[in-house]
Parts: sequence; C-alpha cells; structure tokens
Amino acid sequence: MISERAGTTAISTVTFIVLAVFFVVPLALMIIVSFYKSDPMAFYEVAFVWDNYAKFFSSFYYTVSVRSLYTAVLGAVVVVAITFPTVLAISELSRRWQLFWIILLLSLMCLSEVIIGFAWLILMSESVGLPRFLEWIGLWTNPRSLSPSFGAMLIGLVYLGFSIVALILYPQAARRDRSIEEAALTLGTPPMLVFFKVVLPAFRTSLISVTLTMFVYLLGVFVMPTMLGRPKDWTMTVIISDKALGDANLPLGAALAVIMLIVTALVLLVSVLATRRAEP
Amino acid sequence: MITRGQKTLLICVAILLVAPFVVVFGVSVGASKTISFPPDALSAQWYNTLFTEPDWLAAIGRSLLIAAIAALISVTIALAANYVLWRRQSGFSKLVFALGLGPFLLPPIILALGASIFWAEFGWYGRMEATIISHGVFFVTLPLVILARGFAALTEEVIEAAQMMGATQAQVFRTVILPLIAPYLITGFALVAIISVNEYLIANMISGFVVETLPIKIFNNVRYGYSPVVASASMLFVGITVTVLLVLARLTDLVSLLGASKES
Repeated sequence: MISERAGTTAISTVTFIVLAVFFVVPLALMIIVSFYKSDPMAFYEVAFVWDNYAKFFSSFYYTVSVRSLYTAVLGAVVVVAITFPTVLAISELSRRWQLFWIILLLSLMCLSEVIIGFAWLILMSESVGLPRFLEWIGLWTNPRSLSPSFGAMLIGLVYLGFSIVALILYPQAARRDRSIEEAALTLGTPPMLVFFKVVLPAFRTSLISVTLTMFVYLLGVFVMPTMLGRPKDWTMTVIISDKALGDANLPLGAALAVIMLIVTALVLLVSVLATRRAEP
Repeated sequence: MITRGQKTLLICVAILLVAPFVVVFGVSVGASKTISFPPDALSAQWYNTLFTEPDWLAAIGRSLLIAAIAALISVTIALAANYVLWRRQSGFSKLVFALGLGPFLLPPIILALGASIFWAEFGWYGRMEATIISHGVFFVTLPLVILARGFAALTEEVIEAAQMMGATQAQVFRTVILPLIAPYLITGFALVAIISVNEYLIANMISGFVVETLPIKIFNNVRYGYSPVVASASMLFVGITVTVLLVLARLTDLVSLLGASKES
C-alpha cells in the first residue's frame, strides 16, 4: 500500500514538473522580461524599469487596445448570437445528421486559421468569389475586392469562433429537458416566444460564460487581422508579435502580453463569478 | 421536432461554412496560374507540385513529425494526471489537473511569446524539439478533459474484481484500465495531432524562421506572392483533417464522447 502511494505521488510530481517548467516558467519569464530594457542588438538587457509599461499609456497603444476590445466584444456577441439558434436546430436533428454536424464542426475547429483566412481571402477577392457572383446576379455593377477591410476581418473571426462555440454549447443543447418547451408549443405559444421566454433563460449562464470565453479567444487571434484586415484594423495580438519578432523589442512585446494576460484573468474571474452566482 | 425556419437556418449556415472550401477546391484543380473560379480547365498540376517539390514535401514531413510526437507527449501527460486523480483525490493531483486546463484559457499569443522567451533562454530557440515540446504541453487540455470522461465511466466493480483475483496495480492498469479508456486515448491523440498540424502562431514564434511547418509555409506564400499550390496545400489539410475525424467517428462514439447523450 505504501509503495502504491509513493507511485502515484511520483507520477503526480513528474506531471507537475513538466507542466510547471514548460507552461508556468515561460509565463513567469515573460513577466520578468517585461521589466527589462530593450536592446536592439541582443534580445534585451537585464534591468528593472517600468518604461515598457509606460509606453502602453501612449495614444497609439490606447487606440490599439480600444480597437482590440471593441473587435473582440463585437465578434463574441455576433458569434454567440448566430451559433446558439443553429445549435438548437442541430440538436433537433436525427442522430445521423447530428454526427454529420459534429464532424463538420470538429473539422472547422481543427483547421488552421491560416487555411480559413486564405479561403476567405479567395472568396472575397475581386477576380473570383463573392464580388464576381454579385456582379453575375446583377447586384453589383463594378465589383471590387471585399478584403482587406474590417468587415472581412470580422467575418473571418466569426467563422473561426462558430465551431468552437457550437461544440461548447452542443452537449447542453442536446441534453436539455424539452418538456416545458413542448408544453408551451402544444398550448399554442408561438415558437419565437418560446425561444425568448423558455429556452433563452435556461441557457443564460452558459451563454454569458461562452461569450466571455469567445471574447478572450478573439482577443488572441493573429492570422485573421493580418490576412483579412487593413493595418488600421490590427489588434493587440498582431502588434505584440510585430514588436517581438519584427522590431526585436521583446521587453515591450512582453509588457503588452502581460497587460493582455491581466485583462484575460479579469474576464475569466468575472466569468467564474457569474456562473457561480447563477447556480444556487 | 424541427421547424421549417430551423431547417432553413441550418442549410444557410452549412452553405456559408462550406463555401470557402468549395472555392479553394475549384482554384486548386484549375489549370490557370492566376486564381479563377469556376476553373476554365481542370488540371492536377498544383497537387503534382505539392507532392514533388522538395520544399513543400519537407514542410509536410516536418508538420506531421511535430504533430505525432507532440500528440504523444500531450496524451501521456493527460493520462498521468487523470490516472493519479482517479486513484487518489488528493489536493496535489487536483492542482496538477487544474494546471493542465490553463493553456486553453489563455490567448495563444501569450503562450507563444512566453515560450519563445523561454526557449531563447534555454538555448533551443529555433529548434524543432522546442516546437514539439511546447505543442505537446500547450495542447494538453483537450486530452485531459476527454480522458477525464473516460475515467469517470470506469466502474469500481471491475477494478475490485481484478484486484480480488490477485492482480497487481500495474496489471490492473495494463489489462483493465488501458483497454477501457483506449477510445478516449485515441480521440485525444488524434485531436492534438490535427490541432498541432494546423497551428501557426506558436510554431512561428518558437522556430518559424528555421523550422517551416506547412501552415507557416502557406502563410508566407499568401503574404509574399501567391501561387495556386497554396490552394492544393489547403485542400490537403482539409483532406487530412476530415479523414482523421471520419475514422475517429467510426472507431468511437463521437457524439457521446462530447457529452451529448443523456446517459453520460
């Protein structure tokens, strides 16, 4: 019995060390580097300065932050608003078709942002895709490319988020108790009213938490803004990568990432509190 | 009971989800060097280039190698964390499990930047091993959660029966537990492998300038001059991803693995 205890403790310890070294230590290093001085020749110079954080409070980063938050909030709300009714509809299908949708959603969730971005780039380009189609059906006489633009970027973000939100909401939608809905429908309540009065309140907590998850996720998307957005649509993620790789200013990139980490942590905290309060 | 409105919604959403790939497929089998859709003439030349040009082949090989080893690392960590938590509900094993949920909650840019600083300090910046380990650790959350379902489905009786017959801890693990959680292991492995094959940002920030994986190559191609080979490479991805998931659906019950059936 003692050896068994020792065995499980050993496995625990090794797993803990692996996760700590390769997940926690990098984050800690990032926080440390955010206080270093930038050095264009090397990666950084060891120091303890607040300069990198001070730079954040300049007008440029203020604009980028506001834009990132706005984009992520708008994207998250749109994704959830489109996904939720779709997931409810999927849960009404036969098991065979549900499996079809799950494979479709899992494929989309796993597919590279790069591929999805590229696909939309082609779909919205001038020579093929949507603009040409609109010209063909006579809606647009002089078609131009639809990307790069804010709208194109937003479509890309919503597309990325759709499969994730759908897969998070699906289990609950599939298992939900349908008796009240069905009773209301039998009594002649219009389906729209049933949706807003019965289904929506039952899902309120999960919808709030999935919206917050989406917000954090969209805050960190890199490929869509670079591929489908204009430089003036670029979010904080692009700027961080740009500072760290392009300008070789790791300390500034790290400081921006730490700020993003704090925002993420706050949102997750709110999410946990919101979920907790809703559950009696 | 599905209403007509819901049917229309599903059809519209399905069309929007699939449309980009129909167009990419059209471009990938087109003969012209500039993008055109629908293609004027059919040709397999872009697939031919993809599978004969050493540059593209090397990128495909690297991506698959990284994915296979990273998935192995991920599933091993997830199995260890779950097994210990299942054997003994100690605070420490709960902490290890919670730590494994962490990477999923953070925006990838933070993980990527942290990892690139870490590997620079460690001296492995720009090496494939660094990308493999980071992928393996950062994608642990999915197999962790999936395996937790597998362990939750294990019944005490089976284990107790095996122990009463005199099986040792290791024997119970090998002959009873492992076969029962095998579907969950396979699912976790496959999901990490496809996510790793498709991942761009972390791979790029750790070693993208040396170790060019398929997504990195596609991204660079789109940014600095376009060629229809990118379309055929994208379709290869779609092919791999969908095939793996279809095989998975045959081997395991995906719908209930995701927690959708009332029993689980």
